[in-house]
Amino acid sequence: MSPDADREHGSFERANFERFARGESIPVEVGEIERELGALWKRASSTGDTHAGAAISRAALWNLVIPARGAGALAKTKALVDEIAQGVPVRAITLCLDDSGELNAGAAAGGGLSATIESNVVSQPGGARVVYSEEITLRGPAGAETHFGALVRALQIPGVPTAALWMDAAMPAALLTRELLPVTDRLIVDTGSCARPPHLYDLQRLAAHAHPMPVADLGWLRLGSLRLLFAGLFDPPVGGAPLRRATRLSVRHRPRGDLSALLVVAWLGQILGWRPLRSAQTSDGGLRFDFARGDGARGDVEPDIEAFLVPAEGACDASGVLAIELAVDGRDDYVVCRTAIDQASVQLPIAPAKAVKLDSYSDAELCVAALGPRGRDPLFAKCLAYAGGLWALEPQTTGSQR
Amino acid sequence: MKTLSEEAPLLPNPLREGLVEERIPEPAAMVIFGASGDLTRRKLLPALYSLTRDRLLPARFAVLGFGRAALTDEAFREEMRRGCEEFARRRPVDPALWAGFARNVFYQQGAYDDPAAFLRLKARLEEIEHTLGLPGNRVFYLSTPPSTFAPVIRSLGHANLAPKPAPGQPFSRVIIEKPFGIDLQTARALNTEVHDILAEQQIYRIDHYLGKETVQNLLVFRFANGIFEPLWNNHFVDHVQITGSETVGVEARGGYFEQAGSLRDMVQNHLLQVLSLAAMEPPVAFEADAVRDEKLKVLKALRFIPESDFEHQVVRAQYAAGSIGGKTVPGYRSEPDVSPRSTTETFVALKLFIDSWRWAGVPFYLRSGKRMPKRVTEIAIQFKEAPHLLFGKRGETIRPNVLSIRIQPDEGIALNFGSKLPGPAMEIAPVSMEFRYGSSFGVEPPEAYERLLLDCLLGDGTLFTRADEVEASWSWVSRIHQRWAAEVAAGRTTLDTYPAGSWGPEAADRMLTADGRAWRLP
Repeated sequence: MSPDADREHGSFERANFERFARGESIPVEVGEIERELGALWKRASSTGDTHAGAAISRAALWNLVIPARGAGALAKTKALVDEIAQGVPVRAITLCLDDSGELNAGAAAGGGLSATIESNVVSQPGGARVVYSEEITLRGPAGAETHFGALVRALQIPGVPTAALWMDAAMPAALLTRELLPVTDRLIVDTGSCARPPHLYDLQRLAAHAHPMPVADLGWLRLGSLRLLFAGLFDPPVGGAPLRRATRLSVRHRPRGDLSALLVVAWLGQILGWRPLRSAQTSDGGLRFDFARGDGARGDVEPDIEAFLVPAEGACDASGVLAIELAVDGRDDYVVCRTAIDQASVQLPIAPAKAVKLDSYSDAELCVAALGPRGRDPLFAKCLAYAGGLWALEPQTTGSQR
Repeated sequence: MKTLSEEAPLLPNPLREGLVEERIPEPAAMVIFGASGDLTRRKLLPALYSLTRDRLLPARFAVLGFGRAALTDEAFREEMRRGCEEFARRRPVDPALWAGFARNVFYQQGAYDDPAAFLRLKARLEEIEHTLGLPGNRVFYLSTPPSTFAPVIRSLGHANLAPKPAPGQPFSRVIIEKPFGIDLQTARALNTEVHDILAEQQIYRIDHYLGKETVQNLLVFRFANGIFEPLWNNHFVDHVQITGSETVGVEARGGYFEQAGSLRDMVQNHLLQVLSLAAMEPPVAFEADAVRDEKLKVLKALRFIPESDFEHQVVRAQYAAGSIGGKTVPGYRSEPDVSPRSTTETFVALKLFIDSWRWAGVPFYLRSGKRMPKRVTEIAIQFKEAPHLLFGKRGETIRPNVLSIRIQPDEGIALNFGSKLPGPAMEIAPVSMEFRYGSSFGVEPPEAYERLLLDCLLGDGTLFTRADEVEASWSWVSRIHQRWAAEVAAGRTTLDTYPAGSWGPEAADRMLTADGRAWRLP
């Protein structure tokens, strides 16, 4: 290389490095991603600092693969990855299927793939700045998904587990089942914002396909705060005895939160050993399920417990669940009721109603949780199967009174 | 409203299944004795606030401060809010979250030796529990001077505030700060007094070093990885160094430190606890008593330092005037509340042996000092050299492999090894493979007190010290104190000095050079 060319190349590298350190995306050749990343990190470690005199570190606890379809989904995904990086360092590999060519007309017209790399910068207390993790974005036109699997296999950091975040139902399922699951250690889905009860069968099939890999569900994690509060009603001094005498359960939910509400019913039914008998639609557009208690004292005709999914309006997070109300012996009510997005009222027979803070988590916080121990909750798989069983009950058409 | 008796008998809560990993304790109240003191403001309330912020405390939880100062609930809350704003790990304080947390923070004035004050405390606690629907689970935190430990626990007993455990009954637990006794005799006496009122399983003797993430990681590092434990013995380890250094002097605690000294203040508890975790055998389970049984075996296997070797294995010293961080600092004897003729050590270095199959012949070097160049606590395991050296024949130095486990600050683990320098020559240079919590996980680990308070609320005593451990460590340490007392009585004191800002006296260096070794610069 001539001295001029050398200088030009040096200044190009420096400009790229500065953009990288600022967290901006840098276009690279698809086949050169790893080499370009290596060069940027090498430069970072040789300069010793980026901004504010803080040493930089490259870290990844997970390879996180996120498929997305179209410009809107890609923008959401990249914002999510930026937030996830604040909680856990990952090498994010975003796979964008760009059917319309709106994201990269040149590459799409040529039928090829394009790639960008960027860093996710985490600010530390005291103003120091440390670059933690990296993000690779691959874009391609329809059909490019056939290349994604091989690229992911090439770009996985060895020795680091891989999670697939499957939130975009518009992506071809074969990409997940054929290409990604074989190289994945954890599958993360979202029943809360991306799925309705008719998707239960697909989700169950996916979970079965992934078995024994842990499947984490952001929707299930989103219900954690309400489940925790409701479970807390039966801590001492109340204890678990009232749960054995439950007669009626009502789960109020936003209209699109019916799958979350179904999971709440499944949670209680599964743990308390309720045997589903039948279901019916209610006059207000909700559902009713009849259960027999595990001991089967009253046979199959008269239900021991009636459970209702009740569509309602009210301030709510993405879980869509507004309240869980359990009646015991037909009179004592144990209630957790959302009064605002982050507030709830708890009520139990032995104490006055009390307002408590209800934790609300962003999708990124839930993703971080899903990558931790909470993403290995065996109860979710059981509840998913139980909910599937409830949904499979043939609904009776007669209206039911609540 | 129903009464509790209608709900009997108490059955377990099945809905907690699957929520176990959340590690959320049952609803409870925490009573802090010494609530107007520094520890409460700097550590305890900030830890509880951070736990609340991390959603790790139950929704029904109350704090009742108890202290001599006359404070209202409001004044106490305000003082604690300032403490959280200054010291909480999760800052800035979220006003809405604080409002909810502070609503359940209360204060009660009283003297530690006044039985009537404890009856008033009981009435206030029951009122709070009734109002908040708490089941009667209680944690009592003794953040008070050591002389009050026994009276406070006696008063708890007299007021029936901390009944012994019974099936189906709410729990009562007592956290006791260090120092637990000042020698073997006083530790035994205190254990006897405490056991008159409380069962051992109710007692949580706190040593905040054990709440540090790296100390816990030591167990994971050793027993969850297959590659290290086979090397963790006298076949491969040359020696072990444990350093606990501080840059601060005695600050406003001159009166306390004069009575304590570094051996009591740091070695008897922190360093011997760290040593026992580093040297113990694998426990049969990761459970409180299984872990503590193994730690106890190490403490019991510490070889008493023989009279003939005492001067070669024990160095004590005091800091003289010097410079720390560019500022001139006074010598120990010029500090407030310190006698100008004090013989209290501010630095101690020890060479000790563990008489066990695993560690036979491996020296453990411990040092702890005030006014040292930097604040650091670390365990360094130095491995033996390769049995036959292919390299280093042309004079280049090949440094031994060292595994250093940094407890504070910058918690992490580093492994030093030799590597060929790039180029045609066979030059070898030491390099380091490092793991740092901050960079690997992208988050700072929780404060030690957060972990320990949470563990106590959950009933997990693994990271707390058991009565027999305390007595075993005092048993070893008290021999050194007795020897020093004999020196003073005989009018010949082996007390060195070191300039503030140095790594200790020359005698400490000589202790290692005599063995062909040297202290690490951590």
